[in-house]
Amino acid sequence: MSGNLAAAAQAILEHPLFGFGITLGAYQLALALFERTRWVFLQPVLLSMTLVIGVLLLCGIDYAEYRASVSMLSVFLGPATVALAVPLFLNLKRIRQLLWPILLTLVLAGSLATALGIGFAWLFGADHVMQMTLLPKSVTSPIAMLVAEQLGGIAALAAVFVLITGVIGAIFGPALLSRIGVHSPAARGMALGLTAHAVGTAQALQEGEETGAFSALAMSLMGGATAILLPLVVALAA
Amino acid sequence: MLLRGISWLVLFQLLGTGLNVLLLPMLPGPIIGMLLLFAFLLLRGEVAAPISEAAGSLLRYLPLLLVPPAVGVMAYAEAIAADFWALAGTLVLSLLLSLLFAGWLMQKLIDRQQRRKERQA
Repeated sequence: MSGNLAAAAQAILEHPLFGFGITLGAYQLALALFERTRWVFLQPVLLSMTLVIGVLLLCGIDYAEYRASVSMLSVFLGPATVALAVPLFLNLKRIRQLLWPILLTLVLAGSLATALGIGFAWLFGADHVMQMTLLPKSVTSPIAMLVAEQLGGIAALAAVFVLITGVIGAIFGPALLSRIGVHSPAARGMALGLTAHAVGTAQALQEGEETGAFSALAMSLMGGATAILLPLVVALAA
Repeated sequence: MLLRGISWLVLFQLLGTGLNVLLLPMLPGPIIGMLLLFAFLLLRGEVAAPISEAAGSLLRYLPLLLVPPAVGVMAYAEAIAADFWALAGTLVLSLLLSLLFAGWLMQKLIDRQQRRKERQA
């Protein structure tokens, strides 16, 4: 009997739906907990990630195996990025009104985010490869991975830094922005999208459509500018 | 409706992937796809109901879609542990400072534009 139970458990753990199932379960649990408590450290992406990692470690499943079983979720990340064009278009009038503030903020705050990343990494004694991996941390992960690789960093680790950055931004960003008196949805969206990319944008969409639209705009502008300019700047500086 | 909208989004993403390989290796396919859809919406002048429905549904689940890449942290636990304080300090400090600066600057610029408009009126 116990042999049969072990075989059944084995079959469940090895089923291609197992990773997908625990991801869905963890996400719903995280969302319910977050909605009940509204406690910032229970940020849904962070909490789901922790729960999923816990289950995987308990069951002895490695990341490669997990990633294969959630490919049907990952594949929708592309179309979801494309879908950000819709809030962007719906808020076009407001974006046009604020064209100069947007461009100025992009150039100044975008450069600051990148410069601070490498500055602190150097200050805290991270090595060159880590510094190059940390440089593109404020942009959405596909761009960050490309850019990190071009600069001699580690692409997969860059994606991890991108996510951590996004989660920290989504946790602390909204409350801190309110604290220093940033109340306009456009400014809150710009700040979240520019520095915390997709996770920040997901958070911004919760605040409202205009915040989400500006966040999506800032994320894509920052991504494009980083992809084109950062390798150039590093090549000139080296 | 939902299926038709998702088909459009997938079509734009695939076009973006094609252009990424052909012309723009520095921009990822989904970002090019987003720009293409944006241009398409500008030409049409409105968001058709199927696209609006599909975009709304996908964006509602954006946090869920971000969970699998986030779990990737576990694959790099050792590299992260080796440099933990340097990495944590860098990520937290640079993010918070630049986020607050971006929000503050944008708010100031918006307020200034508002005041200028009021003065003109």
